[in-house]
Amino acid sequence: MSVRFILRAGERGYSYLPAAGLNASYVAGHPDGVITRHSSFNFHEYQSGIPGLGVMKVFGDEVFTPNGTGYNMHPHHNFIIMAFVASGALTHINTIGKIDELLADDYYVFSAGSGGKHSELNIGKEDMQAIYVWALPGQLLAPPSYRRGHFDRAAGANRITCLVGDEPGALPIGQTFKVSRLLSDADGHHVYRSSKAHGVYAFVLEGDVVIAEATLTRRDSIALEGEDKVEIKVRTDGTDLLLVETRL
Amino acid sequence: MKKYLCLGCGFSYDEALGLPEHGVAAGTRWADIPGDWVCPDCGTPKAGFEMVEIPYYSEARPA
Repeated sequence: MSVRFILRAGERGYSYLPAAGLNASYVAGHPDGVITRHSSFNFHEYQSGIPGLGVMKVFGDEVFTPNGTGYNMHPHHNFIIMAFVASGALTHINTIGKIDELLADDYYVFSAGSGGKHSELNIGKEDMQAIYVWALPGQLLAPPSYRRGHFDRAAGANRITCLVGDEPGALPIGQTFKVSRLLSDADGHHVYRSSKAHGVYAFVLEGDVVIAEATLTRRDSIALEGEDKVEIKVRTDGTDLLLVETRL
Repeated sequence: MKKYLCLGCGFSYDEALGLPEHGVAAGTRWADIPGDWVCPDCGTPKAGFEMVEIPYYSEARPA
């Protein structure tokens, strides 16, 4: 196995986006509202750093403050945009005609395809935390689509559960791409099976794990390639890990 | 003829098609688009686009 990179929590890109001032048309909500975004990947002159992994271009760890904070309606094409809600309530509105509310452990896949707009809002009274992932599509200008899923904590405990990808119970996206989650409440050893030709990105939402001899704590991540399995040692109670597998 | 994708929003530019509605004629090479050109949808600079080799949905053949 080879490690492509290890990215510590504090090494990620950071954006602080207040709803007032220059961002007022982009960031929704009360003027005191703010979006904070920690970005694992960075592209071109927007930022400097790791440009992504395979078809994954964005992995954003975002918090929206309450009272309407979020992104106003804005356009996309082609990208497959996913949000995995960790806490709070996310209101998603899109031009396919969907208005949805997602709570903790809910997630969606919005494929912008031939064109669509969306708005992401926290109209609740608590912070909303979500992981946003963008993937390149398998085809350009496909019909836009929106689907939602839910991670079942009881059924998914102490095992690796596929949320997005061509697996039973997961949301397919027409791309060689999977997102899985490992939620563990006990010490243990888990194996993620992948293709040697693919890359695997593991991001620690909570807890403490060892992968490829690297100890990773909250919001640390690692990218691996060239192996058909990833061994994961879970070291503390309450570990929560996202695993992304992508073609390279 | 190549295709380029805006990493800010996913807008795609196809050299073969150009963007006649934005004053870029069909067949215009990416290299010939001015450096100060920005994504018509989101304002991302030209340098924030990436060349992609992804087929169109309309080209996909049934399996």
